[in-house]
Amino acid sequence: MLAVWAALFWFLLLSGRDAFYLSTRTDWVVPVAAGLLSVAALGRLVTARVAASEPLRRREAWIMTLMVVPVLLVMVLPPVTLGTFSADKRAGFAGAGIVPTGDIAEGELTFVDIAAGQTTPEGERALAGRAGDTVSLIGFVTRYADTPADELMLTRYVVSCCVADATIAQVRVVNVTPGAFAVDEWVEVTGPIYPLGREVIVSASAIVAVERPDRPYLTA
Amino acid sequence: MADIATRPRTATLRTAVAVAVALASVSVLARLADPSRVEWLRAYMVIFGSLLVQALPFVTLGAFAAALVEVFVPIGTLEKLGRLPRPLQLPAAALAGIAFPICECGSVPVARRLAQRGLMPSAAITFMLAAPVLNPVVIASTYVAYRGRSTLWTMVPGRFLLGFLVAIAAGWVLGARSKEELLKPAPKDAHEHTVELGRPEARWRKFFVHFGNDFLFMGRFLLLGATVAAAIQTFLPASVLTGIGGTPVVGLLVMMALAAALSLCSESDAFVAASFVQFGPSAQLAFLVSGPMVDAKLIALYGGTFRRGFVRTIVIVVAAATLVGTMWIGVIFG
Repeated sequence: MLAVWAALFWFLLLSGRDAFYLSTRTDWVVPVAAGLLSVAALGRLVTARVAASEPLRRREAWIMTLMVVPVLLVMVLPPVTLGTFSADKRAGFAGAGIVPTGDIAEGELTFVDIAAGQTTPEGERALAGRAGDTVSLIGFVTRYADTPADELMLTRYVVSCCVADATIAQVRVVNVTPGAFAVDEWVEVTGPIYPLGREVIVSASAIVAVERPDRPYLTA
Repeated sequence: MADIATRPRTATLRTAVAVAVALASVSVLARLADPSRVEWLRAYMVIFGSLLVQALPFVTLGAFAAALVEVFVPIGTLEKLGRLPRPLQLPAAALAGIAFPICECGSVPVARRLAQRGLMPSAAITFMLAAPVLNPVVIASTYVAYRGRSTLWTMVPGRFLLGFLVAIAAGWVLGARSKEELLKPAPKDAHEHTVELGRPEARWRKFFVHFGNDFLFMGRFLLLGATVAAAIQTFLPASVLTGIGGTPVVGLLVMMALAAALSLCSESDAFVAASFVQFGPSAQLAFLVSGPMVDAKLIALYGGTFRRGFVRTIVIVVAAATLVGTMWIGVIFG
């Protein structure tokens, strides 16, 4: 069992799949767990020889089997990310303390800058000063029941530790060809931004479909 | 005859074959059916996987630390702590949590092992509850999450002080209960005495036996907790509760319930709490103090480690002490 879980953490580390579960702040736990569990498994193996061995109970065997199932599912299934289904169930990103207002007021605007700017009055003012600046943002397409056909919501999840604490960063994109992009499709949107209070609108001059990024979640 | 009926059945070659077939079937079926095509199932799998991938390393670290305590810390060391004047024991145990910078899943096996090794059970529980709130990593993440807000100096010291007091209150309520009243016997504990101490190789054997057993013991309950927490996270919209954010007391209770349902790691929960701007600072504090002490995955871990009455006591005490504490903070700081 120790070896199986060690194998999972080595798999996550070597395949880069840890990015589908953890942020860059916490991905150090993967090599630590891989190393510790490998040592534990080897240690148990080396010290396993005893005069009288204790038989494994059938119930324990089945509990261990259940503990292997998540490992198998992670390894066997293709990697997936949170999508539109979760977008209206997560809280909005609150990044006032993470992004200094100065970073929002000057330099290249990232998705995290824009989302953080929507959190506080100072951030909103800094964002308002950027009205008309051209941005280039990568995210996935989200549409709600009230989203007009020529608009879309460009969404990205921001995680602090793991995906369980994901919050959403979102901008409204206008000038979209109706029906051109499917929900959950990854796109890169380029165009000027127009912050309107807590909402940020991007008037798309170009929208292109892109591959899902290797790190699908942004880190706060 | 009765003895045969109650004797636990041992795994045989047939069991091994059945296990192998079951695992192979799960793999093939999962690959063929590809459950990730179903939206809710995809969300569930991502959240469940991330809870496990993040929490299991901390359980591993906790099992490692617990095994070190069991094998390499002389019994007398922990008994010396018990000789401290009684009013000092619980605060000392709570402050010891500062030196243990891992999240709540890791502190459970350590507390269990400390209690087994002779530390006063109430002190072990105080340590277990305090460590995930008081440790420096958690305080730093709380600071970062609230930096730039007017409530910063309510949230950071408030979380530390209230976490400290609630952990002590829980230890105080437990009083002089013995470890037998507190701990469920783990299946393997009864056999540990067969390892001969004194020789280095025997010590290492004991270390690895404890390390492996604690990991397996805690891991199964973590799995259970993550199953429940992921289901709640998948289907519960955060917005459903925010309409009642401004209602006094109810807001506190809602945030405590939300913390229990979401089962976030104490090192990241401040970022989520900070996003609930509809709730005041006292309600956000309730989320930050009670969450690392009582949540869905922890209740599963507690259920596997401690006797049922104790789990009930700890849930009630943590909820009541957090409620009273945050109400006072609400009165003082608004």
